[in-house]
Amino acid sequence: MDLTTEQQQMQDGKMGSGVAKAMDILLAYGKCYDARRLIPVTSVHIAGNFPVLMEEGVQWLEDLVEGGTKVRVFTTKNPEMYDPEQVDEMKVPASFREMQGRIHDALKKLGVALTYTCHHYLVGNVPRFGDHIAWASSGSQVFANSVIGARSNRDGDHVALAAAITGVIPEWGLHLTENRKADVLIDVAGLDLSGYGPADFKALGWSLGKKVGARIPAFVNLPSDLDIESIKGLLYTLTVTGAAGMIHLVGITPEAPTVEAAFGGSAPPEPVITATQDDVDHAFSEISSATTDKLDLVIFGCPQCSIQEVQEIAALLDGKKIHADTQLWICTSRWVKTLCERMGLLDSLSASGVRVVSDVGAADGPHLYLRKQGVRVIAVNSARASYYSHNLFGMQTWFGSTKACVQSAISGRWEGRR
Amino acid sequence: MKLKGKPVTKGIAEGEAVVTSMPISFTGGMDPNTGIIREPGHELEGQSVAGKILVFPTGKGSTTGSWQYYAAYKRGNAPVGIINQTVEGVVAVSAIITDTPMVHSLEVNPLDCIETGDFVRIDADHGIVEIEKKNHTE
Repeated sequence: MDLTTEQQQMQDGKMGSGVAKAMDILLAYGKCYDARRLIPVTSVHIAGNFPVLMEEGVQWLEDLVEGGTKVRVFTTKNPEMYDPEQVDEMKVPASFREMQGRIHDALKKLGVALTYTCHHYLVGNVPRFGDHIAWASSGSQVFANSVIGARSNRDGDHVALAAAITGVIPEWGLHLTENRKADVLIDVAGLDLSGYGPADFKALGWSLGKKVGARIPAFVNLPSDLDIESIKGLLYTLTVTGAAGMIHLVGITPEAPTVEAAFGGSAPPEPVITATQDDVDHAFSEISSATTDKLDLVIFGCPQCSIQEVQEIAALLDGKKIHADTQLWICTSRWVKTLCERMGLLDSLSASGVRVVSDVGAADGPHLYLRKQGVRVIAVNSARASYYSHNLFGMQTWFGSTKACVQSAISGRWEGRR
Repeated sequence: MKLKGKPVTKGIAEGEAVVTSMPISFTGGMDPNTGIIREPGHELEGQSVAGKILVFPTGKGSTTGSWQYYAAYKRGNAPVGIINQTVEGVVAVSAIITDTPMVHSLEVNPLDCIETGDFVRIDADHGIVEIEKKNHTE
């Protein structure tokens, strides 16, 4: 690989052992993909928490930070495992808090913006069209490529951290224009999308993920005024059942004003993937894994709820109280929680029995201790949360629209589609 | 048999091969406390890959896999060497941060010429894999 003088100095250890280690990772990684050079990144997002790092990973981070290693690029952090403001009432084990606290301290020393959010693009980590970035979070990585037109591969934490510390990343994969072209056309003309909300688009994404696999699809016949929650729903769910890193939504994706543009000037290959309402209906029942109607918990926030979603939930509740045997959690960022407080939403939601939890996402963190508290049957409006809560934490899950979830929280039983 | 491939890391590793035709995810797919493959329905389900030369087509699954692999390595439960048909980022980074000798893209598909139980030597400095068949009678 061709290195600049500065990159060579980084590799030679002239800028510290942490930087040299980061360069070693990037050069070996780049060599795997025949990258010819390292290119500057403008934005990084990292993800790991204690359950995947384990104590050895925490130590690895601490070793990296020792000697004063700092990030050179604005870097944000995905949710962590609990809301530090509610840690005692949630009975988070002390050993767990200690380990997560060590990660917090190491990232703080590194200079990472401790956002603890997966909607980092709503709170300041906003790349521009064409920017090269390293986002280690499959949902937001696809959002960046497909909606913003920034360029990110599906990097893991080690690569993203190395990019943050050195400011560069190997040029391969989705960083290169020729690799961003669509491989397969998806035509949704067979669906009547007029009544579709975000949950329907999630079910659609679920049904298409397996057919798409790791290819780059281009959707046609989606409404060009599709709302952002539906776009997020479709994209984020496609990365659960499939492995696409970039998805062209013709008329929405900046690089896909037309079908021809999405396919880099050539005609889409056959066969075309289509979807029927039966596929979408089947996905609804497939996403749900529960057999019991009585709900222990309704949980929103995978990805974390935007202020608009919180407003929608509050409007649907309309001051009604949720069932005494059912909890309702809204997982969001500290920014949105602060905004809720300022807008009086926190008080009204709290009067309905809702708990607003910040710094965690609905798919992972809370389940570690919720299970110990006897929570088994949950309802979600996120196909992604259903998948991870069921497969990683053994929860029984119901999946449906935000409205169905709120109604179910009030009655204490699943009221949505099956 | 001697085969040439592309090295990811440096160093030499040797040991008994464990071979699968199925991709492996290190998060959820391999228990860092034992080195046992735990993905339901996987060809290697219930088998330990600790201390072995692990031969598989490519990686899959969560990008957090390199953290889980690192923990397995520090606990003495990781393979000593890796041979992949196609290189994939999570597996490559796992090898890089643990200095595990790894090669990929051999001139012949490794799944066709290495069987579980064969003795395999990886020379990642030169990108060479040497295979001694388990029923070798020379």
